[in-house]
Amino acid sequence: MDKAQQEKFVTLLEENQNIVHKICRLYTNNQDQHNDLFQEITIQLWRAFPKFRGDSKFSTWMYRVGLNTAITLYRKSKRTVTTQDFDSVMFRISSEEYDDTIEQQLKLMYSAVKELNDIEKALVFLYLEDKNYREISETMGISEVNARVKMNRVKGKLKKILNP
Amino acid sequence: MVDELELLKKDWQKQEAHLPKLTKKDLYPMLLKKSSSIVKWIFLISMAEFAFWIFMAFGLKFDSESVSNVENALGDTEIISTVIHFSALIFFMAWFYKNYKKIESTDSPHILMRNILNTRKTVKYYIWFNIIFLMVGSTAAYALVVKRSPDTIAVESPMLAGLAFVAIMAVFIGGLLLFYRLIYGILLRRLKGNYEELKKLEI
Repeated sequence: MDKAQQEKFVTLLEENQNIVHKICRLYTNNQDQHNDLFQEITIQLWRAFPKFRGDSKFSTWMYRVGLNTAITLYRKSKRTVTTQDFDSVMFRISSEEYDDTIEQQLKLMYSAVKELNDIEKALVFLYLEDKNYREISETMGISEVNARVKMNRVKGKLKKILNP
Repeated sequence: MVDELELLKKDWQKQEAHLPKLTKKDLYPMLLKKSSSIVKWIFLISMAEFAFWIFMAFGLKFDSESVSNVENALGDTEIISTVIHFSALIFFMAWFYKNYKKIESTDSPHILMRNILNTRKTVKYYIWFNIIFLMVGSTAAYALVVKRSPDTIAVESPMLAGLAFVAIMAVFIGGLLLFYRLIYGILLRRLKGNYEELKKLEI
């Protein structure tokens, strides 16, 4: 690929990198794994970029390649040097906005999401990203009805984890 | 529960301000790095498998009196078996390549996983072909040697020689199966689990 393509890709990736970081945070447990997964998603996006025709938004396309990499292609490295774990990274709430109970509740929610399987995590992730069921079904390649049914089941599962 | 999820959603969207910000300078070198994805591992291991069986079939030739006795006893059978093996190898490699090329990270997760597993399955069929071919071929070769050139077998008792032959075959095939189970168990366990999970949601 030529320089102009490379420049275009890196600009788009720089603008939309938050999506990749959020996927990494959901699917990895430490900073090393986060960096590894970010790297692998970048490679997969770059490889697939010639097929990106711009008929969908770059970000929409990124969700699919990013989740595919996290769920299917990525193999977690054995490195366990923990610098930041999921709870402490995700749990960034300013104390003036939330009281202790809400903080506690959120902390429990994040731990519960962490206990879900890879596919359920992907559904919750898209839900948290405020995607509607049509977008969720397109990204995951399942029907809208099934996305809705599964999401309801995941909600039930989270409830069970939170209130055993 | 819905309220709790809404609360989580609000908090989730706030994290953007705290996410790392990589610059173009950080991102450019990443494009040059090599992938370490499961597909790459499957490709490399499969290539090693093809190479191993080619070596087993065509490279492992001993030059000794007993081997030439065996070759004499087998006659044309050896040529026929080589032709079958070569044809199978070409067929399986072409099939593997075709499946491998289908793997696209832009497909839906379900199709992507299915294509990866199908690629793997091709190699699995090839391994089974080899194991069965090896069993049938060795048994036939053994029978031919016993019939045409019994002096080649050093062991006096035919019963003992037969048992030794079966034992060697069993150890070899058992070792191979264990090896594959370990390698692919480690490599594919997570993928298979996710595939099954997603299959339940199939359209």
